[in-house]
Amino acid sequence: MSSLTLEAITKSFDRIQALSRVDLSVRDGEFCVLLGPSGCGKSTLLNIIAGLIPQDGGCVKLDGSAIDRLSPRDRDVAMVFQSYALYPHMTVAENLSFGLRMRKVPKARIRKRVAEAAGVLGIETLLDRKPRQLSGGQRQRVAMGRALVRRPRIFLMDEPLSNLDARLRASVRLELKQLHRTLKSTVVYVTHDQVEAMTLGDRVVVMKDGLIRQMGTPETIYGRPEDVFVAQFIGTPEINLFQGKIFARNGVCGFQGNGFFIELGTLPLPERAFNAQLAVRPEDVTLETEGAPSLETTLEMISHVGSEKYLHVRLAGEPLTLRVPKERHFEHGQTIPVHIHPAGVHVFRDGRRVQVLDRAGAPSGA
Amino acid sequence: MSREKLETILIRVLRIGGIAFFVVMAAFPFYWMVVSSFKPLQSLLINPADLGLDLSSLDFHAYSEVLLDHGFLRYIFNSAYVSLLTVVLSVGLATLGAYAVTRLRFRGRSLMSLSILVIYMFPAIVLVIPLYVVFSRMGLRDSTHVLIVVYLAQTLPVALYMLRSYFQNLPPEIEHAGLIDGCTRIGVIWRIVIPLSAPALASVALYTFMIAWNEFLFAFMFLDTPEHFTLSRGIVQLAGSVHLSKQLVMAASVMVTVPILILFLLFERHLVKGLTAGAMKG
Repeated sequence: MSSLTLEAITKSFDRIQALSRVDLSVRDGEFCVLLGPSGCGKSTLLNIIAGLIPQDGGCVKLDGSAIDRLSPRDRDVAMVFQSYALYPHMTVAENLSFGLRMRKVPKARIRKRVAEAAGVLGIETLLDRKPRQLSGGQRQRVAMGRALVRRPRIFLMDEPLSNLDARLRASVRLELKQLHRTLKSTVVYVTHDQVEAMTLGDRVVVMKDGLIRQMGTPETIYGRPEDVFVAQFIGTPEINLFQGKIFARNGVCGFQGNGFFIELGTLPLPERAFNAQLAVRPEDVTLETEGAPSLETTLEMISHVGSEKYLHVRLAGEPLTLRVPKERHFEHGQTIPVHIHPAGVHVFRDGRRVQVLDRAGAPSGA
Repeated sequence: MSREKLETILIRVLRIGGIAFFVVMAAFPFYWMVVSSFKPLQSLLINPADLGLDLSSLDFHAYSEVLLDHGFLRYIFNSAYVSLLTVVLSVGLATLGAYAVTRLRFRGRSLMSLSILVIYMFPAIVLVIPLYVVFSRMGLRDSTHVLIVVYLAQTLPVALYMLRSYFQNLPPEIEHAGLIDGCTRIGVIWRIVIPLSAPALASVALYTFMIAWNEFLFAFMFLDTPEHFTLSRGIVQLAGSVHLSKQLVMAASVMVTVPILILFLLFERHLVKGLTAGAMKG
């Protein structure tokens, strides 16, 4: 297994900048997920690593040596495609062994590796079938197996689970995680599904418009978003966002929203008032507790998701979502006092994160 | 009777009638040709319009005479040689060319893609005289190989066009998988594109074969020596001879038609079958 380094990768298609100076390094054995909305350049990046698309500028290094000039076949990478891209005219066994046959691996070893991979993926009984005789889930396994038998230096996966139905996707996701734990392989995994990214990734790289917006562990990405886009893109239900002003009042820092005011003791006193965006996750808004300052809201809608309820309320006319236990009962139109936890508040100035002090008074966030 | 019912019946009648009409139009001359070729000369002269065929007294005399005495064995060989070579070259070149304009990025790609059909816009009759002059001057005219060159020029545009639209519908990911799995470009074409394009390749091969096998204009203009004659050129020679027996021409015509018929029936199944089923998510 191997480490991968991307240095200042640039690519444009017909004057549209697909990637602008992307730097990324993936450690040996790391599961790195590229996450972003469609068109953010994540698949392009993957194709550049594979050598299917040449980059305009920058350098791709595998284990420290540049592989830019190598053709895909000489890079020793394996790729799993969203569409699976199985060879329809070959049996499953032939699909699995194709890469090894092309590399002139001795027949006995090919047989052994194919049997191994088929065993790991539970497709031993399908080896003589053609892809068209397989179900979607089975095809997906064959696509994985084709990468697995190669024992490449690095695995590239382009939304490999997005064509499976929801239940299958969840179970294959777990298997994939398990597989990665056993093989300790280096993986670059592209997805637009944040749940997939958060559950699979050792590290998540959030991309938008050809730029890396933030990278870090799933916890960091969720708990300390570096900009408004990341804050909004990660998390269901979506983070609550308010436009307003940060200023000092009576020696305490506060946020004046559109018709409401929150004290933010966690924020250092600003020298001068500034326009800001305040974001707070639904779980950091709670029903009023005694002694805590509260805000009056009006209940508009309730979403039942089984394990809990989401309340969609209006705070001085602006929408706000909070999570409540499933046992609590509410009426539409009812007035609900809520409390916003200052420690769970994220403040953004010009779209970028403003450092927030945690309760002990130390700055949080890198 | 309701209007709907009437319409259904009318459409059915018209459809069956239409099909029957065209079948008769196409099959009758062929049938007459076959029947005439198996009759002795006398009975043909007595009643040329007699459509009955006495199976007990089939006369193969016309065939043996045409084949052996009139050199048609040689013409069949020539036609087969010219047609098969045209097919092989046309399919081979069209595969590479169509692949290049669909998948590879190079300078002048779109121009080349566009120019494919432009060649086809020149009618053969416009080209035949200049080509006659050019090839005569070069001393190459009276040969089967010149015909192959001309047939290639005639069939390649359509072959390229057909294959290009087929290749455009092949999912590129399969080829990407091949490249990553260790194939070169040529390897991808050989191991992935060609097997997946078998139906398209069969159509192109059949089309090319038919054009080359049936072609008359250039064969008539270019060929002088009977040794180089193709079948169509041979029939004209036969039909033009003074002491003409009609059933010989008929026998020769049957020999031109039947191979195409057989080929078409053999290939027909493959032409419609799609091969990419199961490659993608489905």
